[in-house]
Amino acid sequence: MTDRNDIGKTDAPKNIINTFAVIIRNAQIHDLNNIAVKNAVEKFMAILNPITAKYGILTLDLIGEFFFINQTRIRYSMEYLLNFDFLLREFKKRKLGSIAFNNTLTTHDLQTFLSLFISSAFSEEPFEALSEGTRHIVSIEVGPPKTLRDREEGEYDIRKTVKETYFNAVSFTKGVMNRIKSGEKESIKKAKRIVESIVDIMLEQDELLIGMTAIKDYDEYTYHHSVNVSILSVTLGHRLGLGKKALTELGLVALFHDIGKLEVPQEILNKPTNFNEDEWKIIKKHPIWSLRAILKLKGIDSLSIRAAIVAFEHHLNYDITGYPKLSRLVKTDLYTRVVSIADQYDGMTSSRVYARIAMAPDKALSVMTERAGTQIDPLLFKFFVNMIGVFPIGSLVLLDTKELGLVYGNNTAFPDRPRVMIVTDSNGNRIEGHAADLSEKDGSGRYLRKIIKTIDPNKYSINLADYLL
Amino acid sequence: MNTFEETAIVKEIIQTLIKAKKTIRTYPENNPVYSKIIATTFSKFSVFFISNEELVLKIKLNEILFGSERVYFNQEKEDNLAMFFFKDGIRELQFRNGLTPQELEEFLKIITLDFEREAVDDDIVTLLWEKDFQDIKYVADENFLVEDEEYGLKAENEIKGKSPASHEFQRAYTDAFKAEDLGEVAVINLTEEDLARLAGEINEDNAEDKLEKLSGLLFDILFIAERPSDYEDLVNFIKEAMQYAARSGDLRTFTYILRRLRKYSGDAGINETYRKHFSSLISLASSEESIKHISGIFDSEIETDDSFLNEYTEFLDRNAVSPLISALGEMKTIKGRRKVISILVDLGKKDIQTLVKGLKDSRWYVVRNIIYILRHIGDKKAVEYLLNSARHPDVRVRREAIRTLGELKSIHTLQALRHSLDDPDLSVRKASVEALCSIGSDTAKRIILAKISEKDFGERDFDEKKAFYEGLSAWDDPDVSEFMIKTLARTSLFKKSQMDEDKACAAHCLGLMGKKEAIPSIEKLKDSGNRLLNDYAINALKRLEYDRQK
Repeated sequence: MTDRNDIGKTDAPKNIINTFAVIIRNAQIHDLNNIAVKNAVEKFMAILNPITAKYGILTLDLIGEFFFINQTRIRYSMEYLLNFDFLLREFKKRKLGSIAFNNTLTTHDLQTFLSLFISSAFSEEPFEALSEGTRHIVSIEVGPPKTLRDREEGEYDIRKTVKETYFNAVSFTKGVMNRIKSGEKESIKKAKRIVESIVDIMLEQDELLIGMTAIKDYDEYTYHHSVNVSILSVTLGHRLGLGKKALTELGLVALFHDIGKLEVPQEILNKPTNFNEDEWKIIKKHPIWSLRAILKLKGIDSLSIRAAIVAFEHHLNYDITGYPKLSRLVKTDLYTRVVSIADQYDGMTSSRVYARIAMAPDKALSVMTERAGTQIDPLLFKFFVNMIGVFPIGSLVLLDTKELGLVYGNNTAFPDRPRVMIVTDSNGNRIEGHAADLSEKDGSGRYLRKIIKTIDPNKYSINLADYLL
Repeated sequence: MNTFEETAIVKEIIQTLIKAKKTIRTYPENNPVYSKIIATTFSKFSVFFISNEELVLKIKLNEILFGSERVYFNQEKEDNLAMFFFKDGIRELQFRNGLTPQELEEFLKIITLDFEREAVDDDIVTLLWEKDFQDIKYVADENFLVEDEEYGLKAENEIKGKSPASHEFQRAYTDAFKAEDLGEVAVINLTEEDLARLAGEINEDNAEDKLEKLSGLLFDILFIAERPSDYEDLVNFIKEAMQYAARSGDLRTFTYILRRLRKYSGDAGINETYRKHFSSLISLASSEESIKHISGIFDSEIETDDSFLNEYTEFLDRNAVSPLISALGEMKTIKGRRKVISILVDLGKKDIQTLVKGLKDSRWYVVRNIIYILRHIGDKKAVEYLLNSARHPDVRVRREAIRTLGELKSIHTLQALRHSLDDPDLSVRKASVEALCSIGSDTAKRIILAKISEKDFGERDFDEKKAFYEGLSAWDDPDVSEFMIKTLARTSLFKKSQMDEDKACAAHCLGLMGKKEAIPSIEKLKDSGNRLLNDYAINALKRLEYDRQK
């Protein structure tokens, strides 16, 4: 028997999504007989036919923010990013969850379907209109979106895996740092395996992993911070289109970026008040100490070269201000700029010894927006905002329904309409959290909920942990 | 339940994998044995896939199971295939129908690595993970990565212990209404231009120049090092950076580091300890290891900027001569050999004594290259060593040595050249004549004259005789003219054809020398009964006539 999951091994799925998006784009502008539409249809059929011939059917599902073809999640591809997002919005506009093409599909069937697809956008009940029209096309079937509940049931196990991976990484980081501090020899092999597991999870469930980084208030900030920076860097790296090997490298580099802090005396690190000038001088040496620690740990090879550079540069700003001071201006590395964004965001949104009250995620984002172009690479920051959302995971929001919600999931198509956990009813009474997708509409096409205000969750110790862990 | 036949096939697959591990380790990729074992292993899998879509192997400490059948068992620690996978956490291997020979080869290369002995920075799981095979999957046990099994639970409890009381929610709710209105939320959409810029950034972030960047940072930090141990670390890192640059063929960074070291060593105000360390680092350029790696670049397909090569050679000292000679023996391409030779021509001038040691190399081509280098250096001190090479068993070496001895124009070479006029090889004999001509002394002339005058010289091939006479004609003096003219007039009842050849050579050379006084003697030969002699005489006359008209 042929395994349907084989589909994920080729580029065909990405091409299918991309070409389908191109057809829809063209069909929205031109007549279906236009050469641009016809060419796109032909190309689509040429990619689709071998697959339906082999598997009998090809289903294109939208589950959450991700497309699946024959149950295999199709990874984001930088080159097709805009078309992926476009198609995602077109699906959501029609409340469409899936399209299945079988092996009897003809060009004529596809053209008929396209016509229905375009016109359904103007219907008050777009999915119903599309579904009704498609009933007459034997080779194509459409389905509604899977509900949040369906999705979450499936997520239970993956959530457990995400949690285990996260805490495992933190516990490992703690061990590794302690061993390095006591002068023990440390192999990088285990660290690689840890980061590989992060990359694997991120490729399947980046949202849950980002969710784990949004849980703050742990006592052991240093280790959680290293892991959080690693996760956020890997996730941003993935959005930038880096491959698996590069993501592991980036994750490792990020994990060890602050290793030089082991040399900073505890009394300074744990000082609850502002640093004096001498203490700042010491703090500012940690990038150099990090570089040295990395090279001592690993000698010089391709990975340690990258890691040492990032460790040295992570407090150098986009405009080469910051520290340590350099004898000549050198553009910071791409990895440095990624890690720096992750580092700043996690640092600001965490409670540290010297900054007990963490910043609200949306507030941190707005501070970072001001820094974009001077301290932060503006281009990478744009990708970061798209990844983390306008209301990042962990944000506490007041909805127009007078409910309070905690953001726990981003929405790529509608960044201002994330998924939230409703934590109080409309009278402010604490309730057992339940999930709500802010892109959901009622029968009349109006959104069910909208964010009207944001509040700092840290002031009230309201934390995602109660809902995510 | 697996059939008996299937189990047998799987056992064969395992045995072939074990054999492949050994073979791949032993033979290079271009060896037919290597290709054969890949093909054999692939064919074993193909047989299994005729009736199966997937081969799943369960890995235990000392055994491998196919379903419930044991297909491999070994309790030894050495060469234990099960343990090899098990120790890094692999618990299951899956090979799927669709497996390609290329994937299989990559898989075999991974399992061939000796993780215990080789400096491999990855374990087998990482290597399999990085390859991301389409048709080879694995299940790895991640438990050994867990440092503290209770950590997650403790952290979870700790964080949940900080859960806010219900009134905090009420307070947040009340405060929320007082918070500022959001207004219009700005959504930042990515544009095609953003993607194009990003692609540019990723291309620009080239891993190749990272080492140079790091080296620059190391120098920056070096001068602000506060503790002696920091300074020592940094010097050591710079050394490692040089070694890494050499290993990875990064001549650009290697010369960059050398340049900076030279700059700092030259600074008047630098402390002596620093200067000493920097000199020691500069001397790495000439180390055996550096040269071994860098000369590898010359032999490779990597395009090297000649300016880096030229700069690099400036840093080499006499210690580099020996390693360069070794490298010369290892060069596989003419391009590579030429580069090393060109460096040795420059460097050898500083240390002829070390260079001539290369003349004792067991490889004829190395000896020949060294002789070539000595010729280009042109130092007469090399002569005494070259005399031995003129008796080298390999004709190519003798020829090169003779030629070089000639070009060095030392009177001490005459005996050897005289000896070489009787070399068993024609090309060496000819080269000896040329060498004597090149020396051009009266003694050299007499050596050739004496050789030509020897009784049995006439028995040599015409071609050789001609070369000797031509060599002699280089001395345009009365002795030579007289000898030639006398040769034209020689008579004998025996070996007439040999004598005619001598005459032909003499006529030819007198023509070359433009000896008009020889015209009457040559005229007499143009109608001799010997066709060869006639032709040479006529041609000599034509040449002399032509010269006269000029």
